Amino acid sequence: MFNKKCKVISNHEIAPSIFEMVIENRDIAIEAEPGQFLHIKVNSGSDILLRRPISICEVNNDNITIVYQIIGKGTTQLSLVRSLEFIDVIGPIGNGFPIDKEKKCAVIGGGIGIAPLLELSKRLKNCDAYLGFKADAYKIDDFERYCDHVIVSTEDGSSGNKGYITDFMKHIEKYEVVYTCGPKIMMKKVKELCHVLPSVTCYISMEERMGCGIGACLVCTCKTINTDDSKWHYKKVCTDGPVFHAEEVELSD
Amino acid sequence: MINMEVNIAGIKMKNPVIAASGTYGFGREYGQLIDLNELGGISVKGLTLKSREGNASPRIVETSSGILNSVGLQNLGVEYFLENELPFLRKYDLAVIANIAGNTEDEYCEMAKRIGNMVEGIELNISCPNVKEGGVAFGTSADMVFRITQKVKVNCSVPLIVKLSPNVTDIKEIAAAAEAGGADGISLINTLLGMAIDIHKRKPILANIVGGLSGPAVKPVALRMVWETANTVKIPIVGMGGITSSEDAIEFLLAGADAVAVGTANFVNPFAPIHIVNGIWEYCKKNNLKGVRDLKGMLIDK
Ligand SMILES: Cc1cc2nc3c(=O)[nH]c(=O)nc-3n(C[C@H](O)[C@H](O)[C@H](O)COP(=O)(O)OP(=O)(O)OC[C@H]3O[C@@H](n4cnc5c(N)ncnc54)[C@H](O)[C@@H]3O)c2cc1C
Ligand SMILES: Cc1cc2nc3c(=O)[nH]c(=O)nc-3n(C[C@H](O)[C@H](O)[C@H](O)COP(=O)(O)O)c2cc1C
Ligand code: FES
Repeated sequence: MFNKKCKVISNHEIAPSIFEMVIENRDIAIEAEPGQFLHIKVNSGSDILLRRPISICEVNNDNITIVYQIIGKGTTQLSLVRSLEFIDVIGPIGNGFPIDKEKKCAVIGGGIGIAPLLELSKRLKNCDAYLGFKADAYKIDDFERYCDHVIVSTEDGSSGNKGYITDFMKHIEKYEVVYTCGPKIMMKKVKELCHVLPSVTCYISMEERMGCGIGACLVCTCKTINTDDSKWHYKKVCTDGPVFHAEEVELSD
Repeated sequence: MINMEVNIAGIKMKNPVIAASGTYGFGREYGQLIDLNELGGISVKGLTLKSREGNASPRIVETSSGILNSVGLQNLGVEYFLENELPFLRKYDLAVIANIAGNTEDEYCEMAKRIGNMVEGIELNISCPNVKEGGVAFGTSADMVFRITQKVKVNCSVPLIVKLSPNVTDIKEIAAAAEAGGADGISLINTLLGMAIDIHKRKPILANIVGGLSGPAVKPVALRMVWETANTVKIPIVGMGGITSSEDAIEFLLAGADAVAVGTANFVNPFAPIHIVNGIWEYCKKNNLKGVRDLKGMLIDK
């Protein structure tokens, strides 16, 4: 983990309200694992005080790509940063997705939740992608480059199949490992589908509001069940996660 | 040569900057980014007698120039701290202050006894707004502050700092009660009770509904309370609340603090405490001061 001022190589809109930013930093890029995130200071004032957690989407040599959705003032500010400016980044942070190259895998992403799954797909050998969007689909070409099959759905039918992505996962039993990131309701569905199949291991990437982002302040906790003694504990999403074994986390809303 | 050393009621520190309780864990995480030897001290995450899970999430909201938190003292208990966290901090040259919170007066006393002289000081947290029992309930009436300070002091083998809550009508009265009860020092402020609402869901954002406000937004309030306290008690004061820069820290020292603590600013900039130490040094140099201790009482307010 490092705290670095990173040069912004590019930052542009790739779909309505979705931005892709490439930043350069060798130390962070070398250490980065799929599923880890960056804690980004979007400006220097105290108006937007806290850093914003954003997943590592792809790593290419010294460059790290992030893909983010405009939600509020922090991500709006981030979208205004221009090439050659510097942003203050802490990262890479957290436990990424456990990788077993020999296994048959599926990555299942919903909306901006597809972001951490791209670098993962790149590092897996046997991987299908299921990507669900509301309307505009993005980053599909990149997934097609790294995955055997890419199944896309949109709620309005504008690209791929019409409907929720979970409706198009008919044979989940053919996978040994399933990785998912996206809206809680989608991840809940994926967890349920995998839960009844003992041969399928499922990993979930969690989101929670963060303070320090590095494990010190305990504001980012999620409820986890210890599978040995079935007692629950709060774990930190930032450094115990963000990736958890699906059976371990409670996905309440 | 500018002397940056301070002595807070017997707690010797090489500089006046402490990492504030609850924002710095037990130093391990920030130790990956900065050299902990650069800190004057650390006040560790609030300890309780038995382990505690804390409150449900969300536990944090960003507000205008500040944050609200409702962690609720999640920790693995005082025993775990002594066995597993303290040895790590001992590898560094910094004062370790144990921040303790109990459900009852007896629990505070038991913790103070158990800790003995294994740390440089104990910070009595009677100001946590995020727990149902104990916490701030002990810190809002002068009588109770006097009583609990007196009781814990008897069981305390190291300097006792009482951490005050800003959620009171008259901080002077509370500070005086802590001093009369035998406190060796006072630290303030803890967080200000606050709230935030999601207007779309028409629900409070924090699962706990209310939480404690910290960060730049609270600084003027904190500074005023430190100044009032300094005009009331003779014992040393650790000032905190919204300190982000050396200029902020110097304001607190001028207002009468002997040392400062930095909390929320660490989340924004892990190097904040180091920048603050360096900035205080430069200010002393520019103003031909012999040391940081000269700053106390230099405020021209008469
Ligand atoms: C581990 C992790 C990885 C993430 N990766 C990505 C990513 O790759 N791309 C992306 O677009 N988004 C990602 N997010 C969500 C992203 O952090 C939020 O959308 C962003 O913080 C919103 O900030 P804002 O100021 O624009 O929104 P506001 O709503 O104005 O933010 C207010 C506060 O709430 C926090 N907050 C709001 N929504 C979220 C959320 N969903 N998760 C955590 N905190 C939130 C903000 O950080 C801020 O402190 C990730 C979140 C986590 C926890
Ligand atoms: C996330 C968080 C957790 C905290 N936990 C504790 C705690 O356990 N014990 C305590 O005495 N104060 C705790 N505090 C209060 C801080 O130590 C400090 O008094 C307060 O935040 C004001 O300083 P700041 O504005 O620099 O953060 C906590 C503050 C935050 C933000
Ligand atoms: S954000 Fe501070 S512990 Fe996770």
